[in-house]
Amino acid sequence: MITEFGNFFLSISATLSLCMFSIIFLKKTVDVDLRYILCKNLSFIVLFFVFLSFSFLVYAFLTNDFSLRYVANNSNISLESFYKFSAVWGAHEGSILLWVFILSLWSACIPLFSGKIPKRILIDMISIMGILLLFFLVFILFSSNPFDRIFPIPINGRDLNPLLQDPGLIIHPPLLYIGYVGTSVPFVFAVAVLIDGHIETTWISWLRKWVISSWVFLTIGISLGSWWAYHELGWGGWWFWDPVENASFMPWLAITALLHSLIVSEKRGIFISWSILLSILTFSLSLLGTFLVRSGILVSVHAFANDPERGLYILIFLTLIIGSSLVLYFSRSSKLIFYKKYSISSKEFILLINNLFLTITTFAILLGTLYPLITSSLDIGKISVGAPYFNFIFSALMLPVVFLMAPAVYSNWSKTNYNSLSKKLGKFLFYSLMIAYICMNFFFKSEIFIVYLGVSLALFTIISSGAKIFQVFGSTFEKNYFKKIILIPSSIIANSLAHIGIGVLIIGVTISTYYSSQKEIIMVKGTEVIIQDTKVKFIDVKGKLSSNYTSQVGIFDAYKNDKYVISFFPEKRTYNIQKNIMTEAAIDSSLTRDIYIALGEKINDDSWVVRIYYKPFIQLLWYGVGLMILGGFFGIFSRNKYIDKITNNEI
Amino acid sequence: MRYKTAVIPILIFIIIIYFLYSGLNKDPTLIPSPLVGKSVPEFSSTTLLDNEIITDKSLIGKPYILNVWGSWCYGCSIEHEYLIDIYNKSTINIYGLNYKDNRIDAIEWLKEKGNPYKKIIFDNTGSIAIDFGVYGAPETFLVDKNGIILHKYVGPIDNTYYKNLLLPEIEK
Repeated sequence: MITEFGNFFLSISATLSLCMFSIIFLKKTVDVDLRYILCKNLSFIVLFFVFLSFSFLVYAFLTNDFSLRYVANNSNISLESFYKFSAVWGAHEGSILLWVFILSLWSACIPLFSGKIPKRILIDMISIMGILLLFFLVFILFSSNPFDRIFPIPINGRDLNPLLQDPGLIIHPPLLYIGYVGTSVPFVFAVAVLIDGHIETTWISWLRKWVISSWVFLTIGISLGSWWAYHELGWGGWWFWDPVENASFMPWLAITALLHSLIVSEKRGIFISWSILLSILTFSLSLLGTFLVRSGILVSVHAFANDPERGLYILIFLTLIIGSSLVLYFSRSSKLIFYKKYSISSKEFILLINNLFLTITTFAILLGTLYPLITSSLDIGKISVGAPYFNFIFSALMLPVVFLMAPAVYSNWSKTNYNSLSKKLGKFLFYSLMIAYICMNFFFKSEIFIVYLGVSLALFTIISSGAKIFQVFGSTFEKNYFKKIILIPSSIIANSLAHIGIGVLIIGVTISTYYSSQKEIIMVKGTEVIIQDTKVKFIDVKGKLSSNYTSQVGIFDAYKNDKYVISFFPEKRTYNIQKNIMTEAAIDSSLTRDIYIALGEKINDDSWVVRIYYKPFIQLLWYGVGLMILGGFFGIFSRNKYIDKITNNEI
Repeated sequence: MRYKTAVIPILIFIIIIYFLYSGLNKDPTLIPSPLVGKSVPEFSSTTLLDNEIITDKSLIGKPYILNVWGSWCYGCSIEHEYLIDIYNKSTINIYGLNYKDNRIDAIEWLKEKGNPYKKIIFDNTGSIAIDFGVYGAPETFLVDKNGIILHKYVGPIDNTYYKNLLLPEIEK
């Protein structure tokens, strides 16, 4: 009975969203203050009702209400309760409800943190949020309703997809969606500004906070997904250029470009029309991702049920909303173009190049992702491009972006003294080339050119970004060291940390890609295998029973220099209900290497296929991501506007 | 001048939408196989249940479906009810190619889920599947009465397979 309310509240939310949207048409007739109050309260009420219906779905899962088709298909009595909770967004219907919930959350946040944005802009922003909400709510009600009933009521559910029964996947979708859906804020801002035809720099610094927030959540979400793949899939990989991974990565690249172009727009009042276009692009890519995942037009491990009808609905919406905003951009953007002179050695120019490369990269990935569609609709056969294309094109295009990080941080607005810049950075570049050479010979006794290049570039970024913090630290006149630290503007800390993070990540990625060793062998109990400096001994395989799966647990001991180091317990689980088999790799991590053991197929009672990977420095990947996220948080909470101003003028 | 550059995003957008729309009506799981239009590759093996000799020649005479499956394969257990559905609805013969499996598990699996197959080719090494160009189970081939492969479907079949792919061929 209680779930009927879920349905009912969704319908109410849809009606109210329509009201929210219609306020945009009342411009001439209703007073601005009244319209603002209406918008603001409507956004809160919609959030409230969507939250209620989301809670009812959660309740249905927790109480095993298998009269709902969605619950019956994705849960089971013996499922542990935190997985019952995460099963709410385990398939299409629930995850799209989560999407709407987060969208309503973002739209309610706009009036809550409105800053210095005038009411007329806020009203337009919230109204456009209204149409986005309306679309997704109608979509849920008519084609993806998680509250649909099933009769006869099954006694037990079909269980949650075992792939999703992992702690990482409980929080991966919500965090990813917060970032993903967060791109709607710059989008509605862009449209509102285009309608208004006027923009001020204070609005841009306000927008930048929103963009950073959604960047942070996207980064967390994507990296959690990647972390999960590394631990759960048992292939030892962490990124596969799968269409759906790309779908989350393209908005990330676009929003990273946006983040940088907004800095120029805020500080110099140029690139504004470009920033507006990037905002539209970022949200389009988010919608495109939603479309790709839910229409089933591409084959992917992530794809939800293949349903062209749902796809068509999203495609129509995407065409309407993005098409009309691009037409609006076409007719209005010329009002937002401002000219200011800047030289080729200025910060503006370097950031322009950064934006250019990030955008090209985004489109290169888009091309690769849609390639099978393009070739099949041009009737030249069905060809998909794989990891080699993406790896090559991505690293080639990212090379200049990474190289330009240091010059971008050290250069000045409008004009930089080229000589002093190159002198300082030349020094850093020299150090990093030396350190990279020494370290690589120390650790690996060899150097592969591409790794050497990657590591040197990464070190160049790390050293120069680190030195920037020290430079600012030294430049204040404060004597007290503690106060000196406090005085470092958080925007500087934010960008240094994020750039250092990128550097650390690149070191982890290049070294672990080129220096990994792997063995896929049949091992007999009691035998040993040597991988790099470690000897792994296969002891035994034992059975284990759990509430909803049975598993085979392998026991391996690792020795280094004939001294026992650690034991590994990789598992092969068979889930009782869906009967599929999952690998749980056992990983021993340390800063310098991961040893990764996965249990393969059973050959006979004594021998098993075993996959062992030795991945040097792969932990740096996660540390790098951590630093980027930390930098992002500094960016969100940077408040020292006054000090920011001083240091930015001075340096 | 300014107008000209602002029209570029619209053009790119239209092109992308065109490709997305055209992709919507095509099934990505329908993979063109170089074998389509050619005869079934030669093979000789035993059947799963009776251990009789079975070759490509013994299947010729009537159109048939060849379904690649294994008891270890998750997708196969999903599509199985649809195979049984086809078995009930249609007179077309369904043959199975039991792929990289062991006999006991496979027989147990069929006992549990029902057996729509007329005969099952036992291919525990996967060598016959290689000749058929199998990517992974389940895969479903439709073969005409002369042993020519009409099309190939990758992944679990469902109702639409019967409606959109099988019926038109049968009616022909």
